[in-house]
Amino acid sequence: MAYAYLFKYIIIGDTGVGKSCLLLQFTDKRFQPVHDLTIGVEFGARMITIDGKQIKLQIWDTAGQEAFRSITRSYYRGAAGALLVYDITRRDTFNHLTTWLEDARQHSNSNMVIMLIGNKSDLESRREVKKEEGEAFAREHGLVFMETSAKTAANVEEAFINTAKEIYEKIQEGVFDINNEANGIKIGPQHSTGGGASGAGGAGAGAAGGGCC
Amino acid sequence: MLSRFSDVLQTAADVLAPPASRLEDFQYHWKMIIHFYQNYDDCNKIHIEDTRIPHHFHQMLQLIVDEEKEQQGGTVGPCLEAVVQRSICWLDALTALAAADRPPGARSLALTTGTALLRRTRQPFVNSAHVFRPLQRMLIQCNENPASPTEREEVELLLTLCGLVRKEPGLANIFTTPFVEDKSSLLSIPEDIQKLIPLKSKVQMPKKNPLFEVEMMPNPMRNISIVRTNSKDDSAVTKSSSSIADDNASCKSQKTVYEDNDKFLLIDLLLSYLNSADNQVVLRACEGIMIVSSLPEDDIANLVTSCSPVCETIIDKLAEKYKSIPPHTDPNDVDHLNITWAYVAQDFGDKGYNKFNGYRELTSFFSWLDYCDTLMKECHPCIAAHLSRTFRAQFLESAGELALGGAGSAGGARSATLAAALLAKCLRVVDSQELINEFSNWLVGEGEMSEWPLLLSLINNCLTEDHDLTLETLRFFETIIEKGTEHSINRLVLSRVCSRGYYAPQPLLEEDERDRLNDLSLARERERNREAMKQLQHEDHINEQINDILQHEGVDTKEQPDMENIHRVINSFLLLLPRAVLSDPVGADYEHYIHDAQRHYQLWLEITSTFSWPTEQGDNTASSTHSYDSRPEADIHLDEAFRPLHRTIDKDTWTTDNEHTKDNDTRDKTECFSQKLIIRSRDVTSSVAEDFDEGPFFRMLFKLLSEMHLRPYQVNLHLTSIISKLALMPHLYLHEYLLNPMLPTTKKTQTLFKTLQDLAKKLTMEIPRIKNYKKVIENTRLQLMSEDPSYDESGDHNQLVESLIVLEEFCKELAAIAFVKYQHGMHMHR
Ligand SMILES: Nc1nc2c(ncn2[C@@H]2O[C@H](COP(=O)(O)OP(=O)(O)O)[C@@H](O)[C@H]2O)c(=O)[nH]1
Ligand SMILES: [Mg+2]
Repeated sequence: MAYAYLFKYIIIGDTGVGKSCLLLQFTDKRFQPVHDLTIGVEFGARMITIDGKQIKLQIWDTAGQEAFRSITRSYYRGAAGALLVYDITRRDTFNHLTTWLEDARQHSNSNMVIMLIGNKSDLESRREVKKEEGEAFAREHGLVFMETSAKTAANVEEAFINTAKEIYEKIQEGVFDINNEANGIKIGPQHSTGGGASGAGGAGAGAAGGGCC
Repeated sequence: MLSRFSDVLQTAADVLAPPASRLEDFQYHWKMIIHFYQNYDDCNKIHIEDTRIPHHFHQMLQLIVDEEKEQQGGTVGPCLEAVVQRSICWLDALTALAAADRPPGARSLALTTGTALLRRTRQPFVNSAHVFRPLQRMLIQCNENPASPTEREEVELLLTLCGLVRKEPGLANIFTTPFVEDKSSLLSIPEDIQKLIPLKSKVQMPKKNPLFEVEMMPNPMRNISIVRTNSKDDSAVTKSSSSIADDNASCKSQKTVYEDNDKFLLIDLLLSYLNSADNQVVLRACEGIMIVSSLPEDDIANLVTSCSPVCETIIDKLAEKYKSIPPHTDPNDVDHLNITWAYVAQDFGDKGYNKFNGYRELTSFFSWLDYCDTLMKECHPCIAAHLSRTFRAQFLESAGELALGGAGSAGGARSATLAAALLAKCLRVVDSQELINEFSNWLVGEGEMSEWPLLLSLINNCLTEDHDLTLETLRFFETIIEKGTEHSINRLVLSRVCSRGYYAPQPLLEEDERDRLNDLSLARERERNREAMKQLQHEDHINEQINDILQHEGVDTKEQPDMENIHRVINSFLLLLPRAVLSDPVGADYEHYIHDAQRHYQLWLEITSTFSWPTEQGDNTASSTHSYDSRPEADIHLDEAFRPLHRTIDKDTWTTDNEHTKDNDTRDKTECFSQKLIIRSRDVTSSVAEDFDEGPFFRMLFKLLSEMHLRPYQVNLHLTSIISKLALMPHLYLHEYLLNPMLPTTKKTQTLFKTLQDLAKKLTMEIPRIKNYKKVIENTRLQLMSEDPSYDESGDHNQLVESLIVLEEFCKELAAIAFVKYQHGMHMHR
């Protein structure tokens, strides 16, 4: 199907927080109670509409375990958005957020939009991390924040779509260079620009290069 | 039917009897499976998904997962214990099903169930023989069977095993040949299970399976272990399952030397999937290799490099992908690609995405390169060293060299052009230091040989009449410099310059030279030229502007001692071309050039901060003397000090240049300067001003520069871009060689400034002959600025005027670079 843009997302966070379930809920609208350890990257995709434009989200679900960090790291590159997930019923997953954030900032491009997600909001009785704490962490680090439940689907759509909106706004503001695929954004076939920019911009020197104007 | 019926019976019984224990449930599902197979008839063409078998497997898995949740401190629950003790031979059954595929679909189900068991349980007791033997048997099914319908399931199982090894490295032993004891026992499935699930035909030895390419020793060594395990892990296992760890794989005695025949089967098996047509399968194999290769254990790394052809296979594949890029691929398409590994798998699914000739092959190649690069960064240093050596020998030296060197042969120029574009892109995208080093060393050579054949042929490629070849090769050089290592920059750029052999003070000529330069080379023309007045005004204007900039940038024109000199350097560049031919006499964009230069200079300072160059970085004190030399005016400064000193040469103060540069701020400036000057004067007098050989690289650059009017705009842009990068480098001698217009040299010694002067002279003479030349200059400038792609493509170019504009802008850039470096020096010494 034709789309105006394609955004690459990654989902990161400790193992067992519900990353794979969030993806499944978003792409297939169902919940799977068993926890199959993710080792290699799993892909998911779904079309959404923002501002009347079709946008394809290409989502990379990664392994949370420390042992597999070597492969996970290399998947950060070229992502336009990231969902950083913790489990509201397990404080340790919240405590590890800083490490995840550092890792993400180090291995991804600086414009990547990061959405902080406190998952398993259906398990109110077992809550260990207050919503306010999540909000405070997000505020402190400049992230967007939401609590979700992959089980009841509460806020799952919103989490993915709001991240896309944020990216879309950045495109409108010109923050993202959409012609550089390293930013995790691709222009769909219907948008195709005429035969690529000529080499002139590439050279630092010379009249028409970056030098003047 | 029967199985369904018994399920119903059971459900009915559950209602009456007290709830069954988990183990009873587990046994029940197992019985149902046995029951199914006892009554199974092969003529019945039912698919496994239409039977209750998947349901029973699923339930059994769930029971194990559930019981594990309740288990304390990693002890084993009764269901899993039954499996591990083999009172319920579930794993053997899975192995048999994977081999027999009865009923159809059973193979896939068995593989996914085995995988799920390993992924869902935290402690699957792979150490136990009752677990690992069936797993080994199941691996036999995971050989490269081209387009096997279950290849996805097979490779997922392999990846899962890699994951287990990653967490408990000792398990690697299970997947090495010494531990796979003998093939017949490995192939045979236990009697009881065989009776139950008879194989239609005897299991055949798979032909391509690496397990069977190994000659087994007649008397298989027992109790050996290639990978040492740390005892901490062992105790954890024994503690939690003392009863079942009797045949514990990682508890065996140690052996860290391998036999020639030893193989790391897990990796070998993964390698066989790299050729799959299914990208997801390739991806999993790549991930598995990376997970195991990134283990910090030396034993595993040695196992990977010594007992498996992983590095060779991966690099061969890179070379193969390189060779399959169609020869008619447009080099321009190469540059815009942005490809990371893993991504390809998805990308090809996006049908209708813009494609061009060679897109698929390029994507496949660069994706693989990115995988190699990522693997290099993540893997154990031993593996990285092996991989990078292989990269050089099997990719660069075999695939790359061939294409680059053949420019002279028929059709060779085209393939050399594409090769230059591809290899430049390779160098641009690789990020791991080892690969960058291998790349650089390959290009510029190592050891004593100073004229490296590959480098010379690249330089020659720049000098051909084929502009496309020149352009791509220049871009390659640009990348080599951007990604420069200390070694490659030394070899390529500094090997001659660092002797300072270009420096030759000419005491007699000096006054003349100075006058000429001070008069900014146009004194005589000025008298004749009708534009004389305008030129003078222009010079005043430029001077004012420079003052403005200096002040604006916080350089106080009155307080700085060397103001005069930097002013003169800047002037020399900015007034190289007479006003009459300037396309932009106002020069409104100096500020922009200065900001660019500041940014780039900062980058170069960072890049070269670890180099052992005689620069400001080498010095830790602001008062240190030779750092002063790295400023453009240093030599003027020195020259001024020179005359009085020249007459009083004192041989006792003679020191070598080397000693001098190591010399730290113990002496005051004047003293050091005088010493250096004395050395120089000796050099000059002893070797009666030999002409400096700038070496093939600079010779090529200067030649192209002097012929700018003969080459297209794009070539000239890249040429000047390379030179300005060199001018930005914080190297003492390179700096003065490129940026000091007043540098005293012998007449024939070529320098950047002399080349520019000659070119300027040529253009100043030629251009006024063009009809209506002012208008032409103006229009050409507008067109170049518009960056209109249709202009690029149109054949109607005035190369002469275009080169004038490039030169004009290049001079501004050089002036800005000289200024920024001066300014940096000032800040350092404040
Ligand atoms: N109650 C509840 N359980 C969840 C939710 N999301 C995930 N889980 C469960 O948490 C476990 C781990 O989920 P998974 O998606 O595999 O985690 P991952 O390792 O982050 O991918 C599974 O058993 C899920 O069923 C949720 O929103 N609510
Ligand atoms: Mg997961």
